[in-house]
Order: sequence, then C-alpha cells, then structure tokens
Amino acid sequence: MSDMLRAPAEIKYAEELDWLESVDDGPKPFAWRLSPKMVRLFILGSERADGLDREISQKWFGDRSFVERSIVTLASDRGLLLIGDPGTGKSWLAELLAAAICRNSTLVVQGTAGTTEDHIKYSWNVSMVIAKGQSRESMIPSPIMTAMETGAIGRFEELTRSTSDVQDALISILSEKYISVPELDSDNIVFAKPGFSIIATANSRDRGVNDLSSALKRRFNFVRIPVVTNKKSEAEIVRFRTEELLRRHQIELDVPPTLLDVLLQSFADLRASAAAAGSEDEKLESALSTAEQIGVLEDAILHSNFFGERALTARTLASSLVGSLARRAPEDLAILNKYLHGVVEPRGKEEGGAWPEFLEGGRDAIATLS
Amino acid sequence: MREGTFEALRAQLRDAAATFADGPDALEGILLGMVDDVDRALREPLEIFPVCHHSPASAIAMARRLREKRPRVVYLELCEDMAPLLPELRNCRLPVAVQAFASEVEGFPADWAPLSVVAPITEASAEYQAIAYALDTPGVELVLVDRSSDHVFQWLPRQEPGGGPVDPDAPPVEEEAALHGDAVGVEIGDLRPRFAELEEHLLRHGRVRHWSEWWHQYVELPLGDADHDTYRQVMILIGSLFRRLAPGDPSRVRVDEDRERHMWTRMRQHLAASGVDPEDCLYVCGAFHAASRVAEFGVHGADTFEISPPSGSRWQHGLIPSSHAAIEAQFGLAAGSVSIAATEWAKNLRRTGVRPFRLAGQAGAKKGGTSKKALAPARAASTAAPPDRLSGFLRRPPVLDALDEAELLGWSVEIVRAARRNGYLASTADAIAVFETSILLAGMRDRAKPTPYDFQDAAVTCIEKDTVPGRRDVRRLVEIMMGGDRVGQVGYDALPPLARDVHDRLAPLNLKLQQRGVQRALLDIASRPELERCSDVLWMLRYLMPHGAARPIMGERRLGERSIQESWDLALGTHQRALIELGYEGVSIEQVLEQRLRRTAYDPHATTAAVLGAVEDAILYLRSRRLADELGTRALEVLATERSVDGAPEVLRRVRRLLAYYRTNEPVLPAWVESFVKTGYAHYCTLLPTAFTDEDASVHQVAAMLGFLFSMESLALSLGCDRHQLELAVAQSHPEEPSKVALLWAAQTHLGRLSRADLRKRCDDLLGNPLVLPAYPSYLSGFLHALEPVPGLTDFVVEAVSNAFARLPDPVLLPWLTTLISTLRAGGSELAPLLIREAGRIFPGRLAALDAWVPPWRAARPEPAAARQARRASGGGGSALLAAHPETCDAVARLLGCDGAWETPADGPQGVALLSRHPDTAVALEGLLAR
Repeated sequence: MSDMLRAPAEIKYAEELDWLESVDDGPKPFAWRLSPKMVRLFILGSERADGLDREISQKWFGDRSFVERSIVTLASDRGLLLIGDPGTGKSWLAELLAAAICRNSTLVVQGTAGTTEDHIKYSWNVSMVIAKGQSRESMIPSPIMTAMETGAIGRFEELTRSTSDVQDALISILSEKYISVPELDSDNIVFAKPGFSIIATANSRDRGVNDLSSALKRRFNFVRIPVVTNKKSEAEIVRFRTEELLRRHQIELDVPPTLLDVLLQSFADLRASAAAAGSEDEKLESALSTAEQIGVLEDAILHSNFFGERALTARTLASSLVGSLARRAPEDLAILNKYLHGVVEPRGKEEGGAWPEFLEGGRDAIATLS
Repeated sequence: MREGTFEALRAQLRDAAATFADGPDALEGILLGMVDDVDRALREPLEIFPVCHHSPASAIAMARRLREKRPRVVYLELCEDMAPLLPELRNCRLPVAVQAFASEVEGFPADWAPLSVVAPITEASAEYQAIAYALDTPGVELVLVDRSSDHVFQWLPRQEPGGGPVDPDAPPVEEEAALHGDAVGVEIGDLRPRFAELEEHLLRHGRVRHWSEWWHQYVELPLGDADHDTYRQVMILIGSLFRRLAPGDPSRVRVDEDRERHMWTRMRQHLAASGVDPEDCLYVCGAFHAASRVAEFGVHGADTFEISPPSGSRWQHGLIPSSHAAIEAQFGLAAGSVSIAATEWAKNLRRTGVRPFRLAGQAGAKKGGTSKKALAPARAASTAAPPDRLSGFLRRPPVLDALDEAELLGWSVEIVRAARRNGYLASTADAIAVFETSILLAGMRDRAKPTPYDFQDAAVTCIEKDTVPGRRDVRRLVEIMMGGDRVGQVGYDALPPLARDVHDRLAPLNLKLQQRGVQRALLDIASRPELERCSDVLWMLRYLMPHGAARPIMGERRLGERSIQESWDLALGTHQRALIELGYEGVSIEQVLEQRLRRTAYDPHATTAAVLGAVEDAILYLRSRRLADELGTRALEVLATERSVDGAPEVLRRVRRLLAYYRTNEPVLPAWVESFVKTGYAHYCTLLPTAFTDEDASVHQVAAMLGFLFSMESLALSLGCDRHQLELAVAQSHPEEPSKVALLWAAQTHLGRLSRADLRKRCDDLLGNPLVLPAYPSYLSGFLHALEPVPGLTDFVVEAVSNAFARLPDPVLLPWLTTLISTLRAGGSELAPLLIREAGRIFPGRLAALDAWVPPWRAARPEPAAARQARRASGGGGSALLAAHPETCDAVARLLGCDGAWETPADGPQGVALLSRHPDTAVALEGLLAR
C-alpha cells in the first residue's frame, strides 16, 4: 500500500472490509462479499445503534437514500448509472460500491471520444494471433469482460463521453449477460457469472453530447447525485478529504476552522452569484463543486507546506482560490474581482477575522494574473 | 409496553435519551419521570385520550374506544370559539379548515391585521372521529376546551410579526399549498420533537428521511392494531419523552402550559356545571399535553389559572376549503405525508374491519353503511377480541401478507401506467423492477413490508431517467397515485350569506361554480337582458377577488358604455377561500365594495386621482349616484388640501372622463362636478407659477395642469370663474427649464398674448444661436407636451420638429431622438395620432413629389397673393354651387325650424357691389395675409 500513490478503496480499507465480512451474517445476493446492509454501513459509516464492536468511518457523504437505491439496483438485474455535476462524488461512490461488493474496483473502462467497442468487449494480441491463431489465449478481455467472467462489478466512467455506437455495445451485455466471440469456433461465448453488474457514471453537464439511446436507458437505473449545498455536510466532506490528503502527503499542518469557514462561505457566495447570473459570461466556468473546494484547499495546503511558512494562511487560500477558479482570462477574473470587492471587502470591514487578509491575497493573485 | 412490536421504538427512544441527557443520572431522571408521567395520566379519573395529528392509528384507536366506552361528554383540544361551526362540517367535502377571522383589530399591533386562525380537519383524523361521534349520537355533548382564537394572538410574543420569518430558500408555494393564506394554524395533537437536534438524531438513527416517515415506521405501523392500553401508554410515553428531553423554546413551553391550564380549568368548570361523572367523559388532546405536569392538571387539579378576558377584536367564523398540500405546507410536514396517512387510514379500515364514524349526510363521502349501522357489529367485535388479537399480532412474524403484496403489485402496475401517460418510456419490465426494488429497499431498511416511501424511492430509481419528459416527475406521480392532493370544498349551506348570495345571483349562468377549475361563462346580454345582473356581479367580483377568480375575456366596463355580450373565465371554486373571507366583511358584495371604495377615498394618504378613481368605480360597479356624489365631494376636499401637482395628469384624465359621462347621461351636472371644476380652475391657477419654476414638477404635470385649465375653461367661466386669474397666473410664470419655457410660449399663444409669427421667430432664433442650439430639443419636448393643452398648435409642432430634423447637427439631434420617441410613447394614444395626421396633411404623400415639395412654412409668404388672385379670377364659385344644390341648406333649415324661402338674386354681381361699398374689411384682411 505504501508504494501506491493512491490505493483503490478495496486495498485502502482492506482491513475494515475483512472485518465486516467476518461479522456479516445477513443474506448476500449472488456472490457478493457483503450483504446490502453491510455495504451501506461500509459506505455511510456505523452508528452506535448498529451494535458493532468497532467504528466504521463514513466514506461518502450524501443522502442515505442515494446509497440505498444504488445498492438495491446492483442487486437487481439492471445496471446503475450515477449521474450528476462534476465533482459530486459519483466515481468515489462507484469505487466504494465495487470495493464493498466484490473487492475489486479497478475493472474500469474510461469513456472518451476515442473509446471503441474493443475497450468494452475484447481485443486481440496481434503477435500471438500471428503466431498461434485466434484462440482464448490470444484474446485480451476488456475490464467489463473480466468482470463478467469473475462475477464482479465492472465500472464505466463518463459513459456519455463515448460515442453512441460504443455505448450501445453495453445493451446486449446488460440484457443477455454474455458476449459472443464470433472469431472463435468453439468456446466462443463468455457468460457473466452471478454478481456481475455495471456501474456507469455520467456527467450531467455533458448532456446532449452523446445522448444515451432509450434502449440503453431502459437497462440502467439512474441515480442522480446533486451538488452538496448543505453547509454542514460540505464541511464534513472537505475535512474528510483534506485529512486523507494530509495523511497521504505526510504533511503535518493544521487547517484552522476559521479558514475552512472562509472557504465554504466563499464557495457558497460564488454559487449564489452563479445562480443569479443571467448569461454564461456572468458565471464562473467552474461548476463550484465540493471537489473543487477540496482542490483549492489542497493546493493551498501544498503551497504553504512547500513554499510558505508551513502554516495555512488566508492569503494563500485566496490566491489558490483565484488560481483554481480563474480559467477564462477576462470573464472569470472580472467575476472574481467583483466578488472580492463587492462581497469580501464589506464583510472584512464588518466581521474582520480572516476576511481582510483573504481579500488582500485575492487582490494580489488577480493582479498577477491580469 | 410489551416486548416485540415496540422494541424498535424503545431502542430509538432510549438511544435518543442517552444522547441528549446530561449524563447517566439525568437519563435515569428522565426515564423515571416518564414513568411518572404515564402513571399520572393513566390514573386520572377523566380518561385522557392522547392523539397525534394525521395519524390513522390514532383515528382507528379513537373509533374503537368511542364504540367501547360511549362517553357522554367529549372534551376536544380545539379553540373553544369554533364550536358553533362544527355541525356545518357535514355540508363540506373534507379536508376543510375552521377559520376564525378578525379584520378589525383591537388590543393587538395594527400590522397584525387581519388576524386569522385556521384549524384544518381531515377525515383520517382522530378529532373527526370524535366530532362525528359526538354530533351524531343523541345525548352526547362535544365541548371544545382549548384557548379561543383571541388567546392564540394574545399569547403570541409581540415582537413576532404574525408568522415567522420567511425562508428565502423556500420553494414558491403552489396554488393548492397556499389555500390557507397567511393564517396561523392550530392543530390537534401536534407531536414532534421541539428541537432540531433531537429530530435529526431520530431521523438519522431511524434511517428515514423526514419526520412523517419516522412516525409512520416507528409508531404508526406498530400501533396499527394495538389495543387501547398499549396505544395510550405509547402515545403518552412519546409525548412525555419529547417534553422532558427537549423543552425547546421557553415562550412556546409557556404557551403550551397555559393551554393545558386553560383546558383543565374549562373542563372542571363544565364538570361542575353539568354534574357529569368524569368517568363518562373523554378528553381528546395531543400526546404532548397528555404528559402535562402543570398544577392544574387533572379533575382534582389546582384552580389557580385565570383566563384572561378577550381583546376587543371582533371575530368572525367560517369554514374554508383546505387541502392536503396546504396542511403539509402549514405544519412543515413532508410532501405527500397527509395523503399517505389518508391512504393508510383507508387500508387500516379495510384490514381491521373497524367502522369509522362519519357525520350523517357528510358531503363527498362514499356511499356505504351509516355510522349507526356500523355501531352494532363493531361493538360486538370489540368486546370479544382485544387481548387475544393483540398477542396474536405480536407473535405474528413480519412477512409480506397477501393484502400487502397485492397492493404493492397494484401500485407497481399503476405507477408504470401513470408514468407512461406522462411521457416516460416505462414498460411492464419497469413494473417488475419497481416491485422487486421496493421489497429490496424495505429489507435494507429493516422494514417488514415496503412502506409508501420505499415504493416511492423504488419507482424513482427504476423509472426516472436523466430528464423529466412531462410536467410531473416520478416522485410527484407517486404522490398523486397515493391519493394525491385532496382539496376540500365548503358546501353551499356552510357558506357565509355573501357567498351564498353570489352563487344565487350567478345561478342564471347555469354553471357549476362550486367546482374547482376554470369555467367559461358566455353572457349574451342583448338576447337575455336578465344576464345583465350577473354581469354586474361578475364585475364586482373582479374588483374584489384575487386575480384569476373572475377574468373577463371579452367585454369591458367603461363609463357610459353597456356591453351587449361578455365572456368570462370564472374560477370561484378555486378561490373559495377568498370569497368566504369577503363574507366576513359584509352581507353582500355591494356592501363590501362600498366599504372598500369608502376606505380608499377616506384614506388619510388618498390623492385626488385615487378618490376620483373611486368615484368612477362607484358609477361603474355600483351605479350609485349617491355614493358617487359623496365620494366626489370628498375628492373636492382632497383637491383643496393638495399642494403638489403630481397627480395632475391622472386628475385631468379622470375628470374629463367623468365630465363626458355626466354630460351624456345626466340632465344636469352634479353639484360636486361643478364645484370641482371651479375649485380646480382656481387651484391650478394658483399653483401654476410655482409649478413652472418647481424642479420637482415635470413638464408632463404642468402640461396636464394647463390642459385642465384650458379644456375646462368654458365650463369654469360659465360657473363664475374669472379669466384674469388664468392670465395673471401665466404672466407670473417665469420658467427657466427650456421645455417649460416652450410650454409657456404655447400657453401664451393660446391666450393670444403671443402671435404665431413671434413664436416662429423665437424658434428660428434658437436654431440660429449656436450657444442655445444644444438645448433646442428640450424646447421641442416642451412643444410636444403642449399638444395636450393646446391642440391647435399641432401644425406648428410639426413645423418645429421638421426644422429640427433639417437644421440640428447630428450630435444634438440623434441623442434626442430617443427622448422624442419615449415622449410620444408615454403620451401614448393621444399625442401621436394628432401629430401624424397633421404631418400627413403637410408632407407630400408620394416619394416623387418630395423633390418638388417646399414646406408650407417656407412657401408661406409668396403663396397668399397668387392664390387670392387666382381665386378672385375664377369668380364666386361658392355661391353658385349653393344655388345649384340647395338640398343641404333646405335640410339644415328644416332641422333648425327656419322656414325661409330661397331668394333669387337680382341680376348683376351683388356681392362684389357690397365689397366695393365696404372695402375696409377686405383691405384689412389683405394686409394681414400679406404680412
């Protein structure tokens, strides 16, 4: 684990999963490693009322019913499609689900404009085909096919980024649950084992690029993950992810709660202004998701750790906020400038605290960029 | 409590108590206290029946208990002043709300007015069971014991303005949800944790999303078939726990305790007065109040509470329609929860076989056995069954019984059909998936059978895709399917006299106006003159009711006009509450309208224009000369005290309209109109010099003043005004602003103090002077406004504008164009046509003619002599025509009653002879024209 930059969930939480499996006496669908209730417990953390001997930490923050609906979908014969704005934790939830259900979250196909049907089904090892001809050995199974063969959960990231004909290759996989390999004369059908299912994620901002066909839509249950707007749970998410990050980088640095508040408040303000904006030009290009908040904080922490005084300041936070959110040269900068002077400045005068320093840092950063 | 069914609830409560109590001692204290509370309530000789609002379990338990015990007196936790209305419930389709309303407020802050309290009543509630039992069983008395509506406000903290602060994030209120308006809601059995943390804790640990679901799962379902003792114990226990754990807001606690004191005091008073044995009574109250610890609690409680006298406010009572959505919105319940409670109630009735009480003749009720018929078998069952059935129920393993499975299947099929109707691509496969997912979800949430909430989640998971194809999403469809929103209706007999009168008077339209929704009324007044009275009613309703209640599609009502045909969109059923609340203001709509008009007119801040508007409305809607005269006199008073000219344009418009109306419809002008014109003439003359120089008075306003003065002049002079006053006022006016200067010039031209030639010269000078050139457009604006008081100047204005286009440099002209357009637009229908007609007369009609065209003001000088010459040469063509076609003259002469005969002219030119005999006039005229 130590030589991995980022361990997949099943390795990271291996010990927790082992323990849960050992105490799990609930009915398990198919070949699931954990019962649905335990999967939920693994993802949402334990309560005292659950009567467990040890505490299980919460790993995904959001409405309980989303997780329940997702788990139940995977126990039925439909695929699960998590849909939502970028940075809402879709992929993280998919990874946790796969890790808890089959202990393998790495059977992933990444949907891009260049994804072909081969990535979903199988391809051939050309040199082996030349040497030995087409056989099961010279076939390279895709992650989805591997998932079918092992009765695991296959993941398809950014489903709507791949073209429609590629997407439609999933239709037969989801309904017939087998892939036929016409190139082979015998042993030419790969059947899915019990427990196989697919978790796909789709970005709601990409809607319209490659719309899902109705046939495919029918085979997926959609679970829409909204942007977290509840300040309390957002604070929890940011804290959780930041701690994880600090641990990963082995950085010993405190994030003062006041600065966390400043960050959350500034994102809340910017979201409110984006909601009120009339045209695209008055909106920041960024989706202002929780993930972006974590990104800003991460950036600020790393900066203070390696270049600063090894303490997070409001100034650094402001400059990393400007740096991360200003993507289009005049428009985004103008919005941030307006925000700093229209909202932060009066607030700094009124409330004091970290705001004046935050304002100063922001101003400097904008000055550098423009 | 017994083991088994309530284990889950017990675990939840114990856990919550442990979390929120301050340490183990406190926990023990709370637990012991709770036992005391339950004990105390159960020992009370007057049987306390704790209920919770919108709880079918409470309703079922209530129905059973009433059959068993048959109490002689039922005490109910409901505002005591609402009692007389309850029998009217049978005329209504539930849910409706009992409303107490006070528009005239005394003893409360004025901004609280109007005060309104509503108590919604649904069929699936314990209180309805109690009411129906008490009202329909002979010899049973129903006594409402809670504080009166007046006390609701008396006990409200003064700084709180009516309701709480409005949540800016709250979604906009839907029509059905806004049925209660901004009334304060009171409810029987409000049982809910009083502080947010406890509620959050319970929701989190109960793995449910909202309070209604928690209640449904942990209390409602287990209590469904519990016997009376268990039911009472559980309810009192929950009430006690919430009370002990979470006192919440101290002022709210104080109000709650005062209410308990009030209720017990009233009950003791009633017991003493009637001499009924407490054993024969039943006290129905919220579980929260059942666990009360006030000293006044109980039949033998202390008699120390003084009920404060009511304030001076005059309260009126009525029933207004309510809806499930309105109840949910008012009491902060989850959307759909009241509907689900109603469905649950129907289901429980089927399963348990309990026959509910229902008011005889209840409107909107399904046909079926009456409550009396139901009484006998139910009683027989209840005496035999209780202990055995309970233990049987407790031992029964939690499986999906046949009834539930069939129901779930039905739901799954139904939701797929509903989804398909709403544009979803849903198929039978989805129905199967929904069914399966519901069961899986319920299993995951530790529920023996899927609740409606599980089903809703399952349906959303399986059917909802990335977009919502129609107007409603799956969540909403499920809500609708589960009974949807039910909107109540107040029956005709329960309506206030005003509303009944409106319905009676609209009866000739032959529409079912009680029904909700928009209905089209067609009024062919020409062929059915009796419909004119309906039209009057509709116009008044349009004035009095909120937008949309009565909307004219065709036809309008203006002074002096009468419609032949009208068509209306009517939604009186939808706006029943508004109509009922009108009923609190008077007994007929005429009376209410008159009051409203008077209120407008006698408002201390009323302006002359507003009062004149009220006069106009009085004529239009009430056809009341008496009221119009009274309000007109008031307008006169207001005008005399008015010192600003802000309302001048509006006053002018309205007075002109009223004058035109009176001149055509009445033999003589009403006295107030004459006085108004006289006073107005003097008033505006006085204000004119200041208005000209006042920066706050706009050109438009000054132009309107001049318009009043010039157009009413003849009438005013005939009534004894003096023209000198006006001349002096104009002479005293020395405006500096260019537009007002131009206006003054126009006024002077009208009064003959400035000739056209001088005016033209002044304009030429302005154009010739480079220093004032930039201000020229302002002068033009002034001239444009002058069209209103001096319409005779139109040709000059066309000339001035044309000159401006010809001579102004672009940097001055172009910025002004927008002002020109906006002025013409604002002046609207009146100014633009005048100008356009005049311009059409002056400018050439065809493009080809433009090259040779010379503006008349330039060609003016050489033209007259030549034209005269030509005309003179052609001789007296006019008189020849007259002689050749005498018919017109004859007709006019006959009309005028003049019977002269045509005289044949003597030979030789007589007219010319006259001319040569008296040449002075002609010479003078020639001199004038040649100038």
